[in-house]
Amino acid sequence: MITIRLKCFSQVKYALGENEIIFELENGVFTEDLEKIVRKKAKGKLDDVTLSTAVNKKYISKNTELKDGDEVAFIPPVQGG
Amino acid sequence: MIITPEKLKKWLDNDKNFTLLDTRPKNQIKQYPIKELKCIFGPPDSIDQIKGDKVLVCQFGIVTEGMILENDLQNSYSLLGGVQAWNEFIKDKNDLSRWSRQTILEEIGIDGQKKIMKARVAIVGMGGLGCPAATSLVAAGIGTLNIIDGDTVDLSNLHRQHLYQPEDIGKEKVSVAKRSLENISSQTKINPFNNFLNQSNAKSCFEDIDIIIDATDNIVSRQIIDKVSKDKNLPMVYGSLYKFEGQVGVFNTESKIGYAELFPGNISGGKTCEEAGVIGMLPSIIGNMQALEAIKLILNLEPNLIGKLLIYDGLQHTTEVIEL
Repeated sequence: MITIRLKCFSQVKYALGENEIIFELENGVFTEDLEKIVRKKAKGKLDDVTLSTAVNKKYISKNTELKDGDEVAFIPPVQGG
Repeated sequence: MIITPEKLKKWLDNDKNFTLLDTRPKNQIKQYPIKELKCIFGPPDSIDQIKGDKVLVCQFGIVTEGMILENDLQNSYSLLGGVQAWNEFIKDKNDLSRWSRQTILEEIGIDGQKKIMKARVAIVGMGGLGCPAATSLVAAGIGTLNIIDGDTVDLSNLHRQHLYQPEDIGKEKVSVAKRSLENISSQTKINPFNNFLNQSNAKSCFEDIDIIIDATDNIVSRQIIDKVSKDKNLPMVYGSLYKFEGQVGVFNTESKIGYAELFPGNISGGKTCEEAGVIGMLPSIIGNMQALEAIKLILNLEPNLIGKLLIYDGLQHTTEVIEL
């Protein structure tokens, strides 16, 4: 098992109702797997929101295997101005 | 009381009767001599004994302002911007004393202020982000500002868009903004573009521009700015808002990625400001961060947000910086 800290921003924070969530996950989980878990947990509130991914405060463009202790953020393209 | 270099020069030209006192330590006077001005050495304890009007001089105009207040000196004026501003005025007939509180910063100085005054910035969107960004850049002395927005002022704008007043409702935003900004400073050349940005007008909006500030409220406009920013090799200072949270970043410069790489493909951001709501203070915070990043780009100051995305949470007062 690995422990992942999800930091929640913008629509993700409001959809999940938390600033931060700790996940206990099986070994071999990738970022896209966690995104699916997050979207399911949001119960449809993120269906119309694209999410970019950062692992350990660094943006990643490819599906990446997560390691124990990683910090993940899914960042939406916020529109307001 | 203060006196600007320009006004002091008028006093001298008109042979006004007053005493000039250089309050600086003798070693500083020797190191940074004041040009074309005969001062008497004036240690603070002797100033009050001099009759008539007095102009007190220090290096940056801050010590003498304090000296006048603390000692309740009568008929005394502090030279705004001090020797730094006076010498520049004598050299170029350019009174920069208005910006003395930022030219005192070693990161800016007189040379940096001149760079700011030559810089050309475009702001797309004169809403929540555009108003504070424009205000701060004009106050900072920016040379040219293109403001681009096809919208009119609405009552619901006023809680966060402080360039507009209730009597401006229904008027073109860029026209009202130009007038309000010119009241802050006539130094900046303001070019209003009363249109929404699109593919066909983007090039003319960004002609002879050094930096683009993205203060829009929709993904399509951000994608257009991103493309022009890449095509014209201009940095894009991105900003966006959601409820209590804002994002800021500097894209497409120093080989760093842009909006299209951060948010690739056919993207959706869910609700806009109108739909999601935004706390009134947040645009001022994020818009000013964008203005600050623009100034840092002009001055080549580091650290900065080039290749980074800063996320500010106004509820928690936390910031997160993501490397792009």
